[in-house]
Amino acid sequence: MSRRRVHQLKVDWPNCTGRGVCHGVLPELIDLDPWGYPIITGPVTEELLPLAREAVRMCPQLALRLTSTP
Amino acid sequence: MNAVASPIPVPVQIEVQPGPGLLADVGSGPSLAAHRSRYGVLSTPDLSALLSLIEGAGIRGRGGAAFPFATKLRLSASGRVRPYLVINLSESEPASAKDAALALTRPHLVLDGAAATAAALGAKEAHLALPGKRPEVVTAVRRAVAEREDRVRWVTHVGDARFVAGQSRAVLELLAGRPNKPVTAWDPEAKSGHKGRPTLLSNAETWAQVGRLVLVGAQAYAATGSGGEPGTTLLTLNRTGTVPRVIEVAFGTPWSAALPPAWHGGRYLIGGFHGVWADWTMLDSLRVSANDMRAANLPLGAGAVWALHEDQCPVVATSEVVGYLAAESSGRCGPCLNGLPALAAALHGVRTGAAGPTEVGRLARLVAGRGACAHPDGTVRLVDSLFRTFAAEVHAHTSRVCLVGQREPV
Ligand code: SF4
Ligand code: SF4
Repeated sequence: MSRRRVHQLKVDWPNCTGRGVCHGVLPELIDLDPWGYPIITGPVTEELLPLAREAVRMCPQLALRLTSTP
Repeated sequence: MNAVASPIPVPVQIEVQPGPGLLADVGSGPSLAAHRSRYGVLSTPDLSALLSLIEGAGIRGRGGAAFPFATKLRLSASGRVRPYLVINLSESEPASAKDAALALTRPHLVLDGAAATAAALGAKEAHLALPGKRPEVVTAVRRAVAEREDRVRWVTHVGDARFVAGQSRAVLELLAGRPNKPVTAWDPEAKSGHKGRPTLLSNAETWAQVGRLVLVGAQAYAATGSGGEPGTTLLTLNRTGTVPRVIEVAFGTPWSAALPPAWHGGRYLIGGFHGVWADWTMLDSLRVSANDMRAANLPLGAGAVWALHEDQCPVVATSEVVGYLAAESSGRCGPCLNGLPALAAALHGVRTGAAGPTEVGRLARLVAGRGACAHPDGTVRLVDSLFRTFAAEVHAHTSRVCLVGQREPV
């Protein structure tokens, strides 16, 4: 668990129906495009990690994943 | 999604020119007997011998991504279970006909490449993904498979006519009996592919290059090509109104020698509909080389070239291609489904002079990287290259002037 781990939100696009529940949970990192689909605006910082986990849990389509690269 | 005609139709007829390697002696016909009398029996090197052959020859994927084949092979061999092999003959790009050319003239080079690799990996099944929109290819491959007596079991699948049907995850979906459309890949297929097992999926030309390498040996293989890039590559040369021509050129051949002199001095789409525009000055200074072309920001892709006629405008051509690509979205991902038609409309606005380029740029940035497959990214690459390479032509169109003087439509 090095401190350099980078966490990133990834969308499983074919499953995303785009109503933006995720945006409601984490507007700091998730914008919506003109059609209502999420735009991930940056990597997940340590402070936002709990909210990112919450966004993943709340997605009704299970279309959001939190990945990490060492 | 309404079908939009491809600006380059899927060919019903192709011209295959004899070449120095894969396409040597194409006149002898596609039969196994002719193949064996030319190349002899297939030896089957073990995995480490095969890997060193392939690494020595520097074989990269010929489906577009140019990924080192040895890396994929090693990854697919590193799992605990037997890998599957997939020979991707889908060729869902209308501007490409090289895989069709191999299927029609040299199918046993493709099958030998897969058979040797299957033997080295202990793979029991090799799946062939065939193009739904090229029935003559389906027939030719089935005929060739029927002639084989290998330990590996060949399984054929016929895919859809859609542009993205040949995308690797779409091919794995086809194998699984699901709709032939891309899905999100969380792992490379060489790690987790068909039925969750390691799957070595490559384009037909890649397999044919492996086959020829195993059959003729490293030295003869490297007799053509340039030092850094041994061997040859297949190109599909398209020119509106003529039969597409598949040629094989040694790596290192200047473009001025690869293209017919009558086509010099023009404008070229390199790498197919997800490709990049070049003018003659750019191309004339380059050689047919995967490395040089990548360095020059003109990746060869799957080797499809569209040489425009003097009176064909790249703005009009790109607008036509993007309109086609937008309609070919598999419709699974929101940004691609909504964004590509919007991008096509914005580009059409530039073409007719109804709009400026700002909206095109905004939409391109919006769709890039936001899909299960690279269809949005490939479309954006094409649009970006139009603006980069033919800025003057684009600018003129926004003031309703066509520098090429093309009368609509393309
Ligand atoms: S909550 Fe899930 S389905 Fe809804 S927009 Fe976000 S990722 Fe897509
Ligand atoms: S990005 Fe487009 S073409 Fe690719 S899977 Fe998604 S919707 Fe289909």
